[in-house]
Amino acid sequence: MGQSLINEGSGRVSAPLEPEWPILFLPSDSASGHSSSPFVAVVRSRAELSRWLINPPAGLQWLQVEELLEDQDAWIPAAQSTSNVPVDVVISSPASQFSDLYQLVDVFAVRDVRVSMPASPGFLRALKVAVALRLPVRLLPGQPSPEVLIELTEAVSFYLRDPMVETPVEFFHSVLAAMCGAGDGSLWMILEEDPALFLHRGVDDGFKIRGISSSPSPDLFSTTFVDTWFKRLLEQNAECATCPWQQICQGYFKWPDPAYDCRGVKRLFSAVEAVANEMGRELACRDHTGPEKELGKLGSIATS
Amino acid sequence: MNGRIFSVILLPTSECNVACDYCFEHKEPHRLSPALLPLLTQRLLDHLEHENIEVCEIYWQGGEAMIMGPEWFADAGRLMGRAAAERGRKFVHYLQTNLISYSPSWNRVIHGMFSGSVGTSMDYPNVHRKLFKGGPEAYTKLWTKRLHEARAAGIKIGVIAVLHQASLEAGAERFYRYFTEELGLDDFQVNTPFAGGPAKDVEGGFQLDNGELARFLGELFDIWIQKGYDAGVSLGPFDALIDHFIGRPARLPCIWKENCSNQFISVDARGTVAQCDCWVTSYPEYFFGNMFREPDLTRMLKTSRARRDFVERPKHLMEHEDCLACRYLSICHGGCPVRTYSAKGTLLAKDPYCEVYKVVFARAEAHGQEILRQRSAGKGLAVRLDSLRTGVTATA
Repeated sequence: MGQSLINEGSGRVSAPLEPEWPILFLPSDSASGHSSSPFVAVVRSRAELSRWLINPPAGLQWLQVEELLEDQDAWIPAAQSTSNVPVDVVISSPASQFSDLYQLVDVFAVRDVRVSMPASPGFLRALKVAVALRLPVRLLPGQPSPEVLIELTEAVSFYLRDPMVETPVEFFHSVLAAMCGAGDGSLWMILEEDPALFLHRGVDDGFKIRGISSSPSPDLFSTTFVDTWFKRLLEQNAECATCPWQQICQGYFKWPDPAYDCRGVKRLFSAVEAVANEMGRELACRDHTGPEKELGKLGSIATS
Repeated sequence: MNGRIFSVILLPTSECNVACDYCFEHKEPHRLSPALLPLLTQRLLDHLEHENIEVCEIYWQGGEAMIMGPEWFADAGRLMGRAAAERGRKFVHYLQTNLISYSPSWNRVIHGMFSGSVGTSMDYPNVHRKLFKGGPEAYTKLWTKRLHEARAAGIKIGVIAVLHQASLEAGAERFYRYFTEELGLDDFQVNTPFAGGPAKDVEGGFQLDNGELARFLGELFDIWIQKGYDAGVSLGPFDALIDHFIGRPARLPCIWKENCSNQFISVDARGTVAQCDCWVTSYPEYFFGNMFREPDLTRMLKTSRARRDFVERPKHLMEHEDCLACRYLSICHGGCPVRTYSAKGTLLAKDPYCEVYKVVFARAEAHGQEILRQRSAGKGLAVRLDSLRTGVTATA
């Protein structure tokens, strides 16, 4: 219980070192009987949040808090350190909810807090406030529109180049680490959407991948989803076959629409790669310890 | 995640033994009764317990706190310490005084309750701090004597200097040399002035041109880096900013907190609760309530309409000011509410010293990078990464 929600720089996401995979994401009600194996409770009400904070069972990894950011009173118990359960605060409309992130200042003083947000138009405002409050961010790009891609380009530049950014912004952070040789996870894993590792259960007891229910295609929805999906894309001659980023992407941006045009996201990867190369060149200039050894430290240093 | 800190600026009296021109306080002959101190202590402990906060910092100020006498503080410290220990909490005490009535009889309580250090105030040049009988020269002479006496008794002194027009005219070099060479201090800080309470009537005399102020602070920053930083001189808030920019934990001043309403309150001798000493002494329209009349401090803070403005200020600034576009948002958050209110008559605007702060932040960032660059010869990697992200190569 109480594991970090922050990528510690190894390129791997926040999961425990030797977890019992997968971590189950359960609606608060279904999670009530759960205690030993690792799980995340998804809470949507003040009462649910308060209840899990007071008596966290051993298997609880963190709370995924949805639709509560604007509720000032909901955060009062979370700002009291009765337990150290981390919280992942999901904001559905970052463009309009960005200023509400100030509600989390006291909460962050007593427990790990991460902000997760969709890359929807205007998300950059919320990203900037979260970063100013030193809150780690998980940016969920989905299949970004051309409008959002412009904002993502600005966001990646902000993360990579602005020295005032001190906290990890996923997925940029882990992609950078991977490109520097300090991680090997795919976007599915980095963004906690690989069902082999993070299994999201809906209220109907079925599983979901990025909000899409398993019922229409049960053959695809299994713990081998990422492999199956990526193979299927390659068989269909999707552009993934020749994509230089296929190892880290593994068809992430082709889900759910395999016809999605990846030109924009490739430019994002290129921007991260340019910085990774810059870092590599700098580190190569160091003589005594050798670049490989130093590269291993990249992830943790980049967040310091 | 760093643990919550709750601080109380406690004014045991509004009385004062000096007559400074720009004091924003109503100097009323009212003192915190020893009979009420247990109640105040209980209310604070109830709040700490409710909020699950273990340690509370008490900043004793005034008026002039030393008017209460050393025995009063010794008794207060004992009483509060005992009550806190019974409930598994702790008070940590700090004393801010003008030092004018310091005598060796204070040494025991200062070395005990206040861990051997006190904060005081002096400006350069001193033109506004005055004794009731005698002008600024007499004040400076007596204060300097007390400073030396206290230091001779092994007391560590930190000094706050409020800048005014004559400081800017004297220049940063003379200002710095006064505190470090003439007074021999290694710990002082500069505050920007604001006019509140009674002082508002004469605020014209204390308003500084932002451009001149920024230039002065920039020069002072450079002088401190050149002469004081490596020599161990602490000059606030520059030292905290340097810590921030070189990646050390930094405790920035309250004016740049994410939201000061989360972190402290002020209580005066009558039990009045407000955001900080500036508010509790100057702006009744922003009182949160009264500690002695209302049994539940937590509830008072939660329900106070006046406090809501403080709580919501950062949110308002993000939505209506240009703070979100500022690269220094993470170390400023819109600045100080009282400086804003005293200048603009509203809390819901950014600090009027915004442009001055930006100059100071930029200076701190540049000096921080230079310090890291100098260290990079030996340690390198972190600096290189930092440089990479700023687009400046360490080897250039």
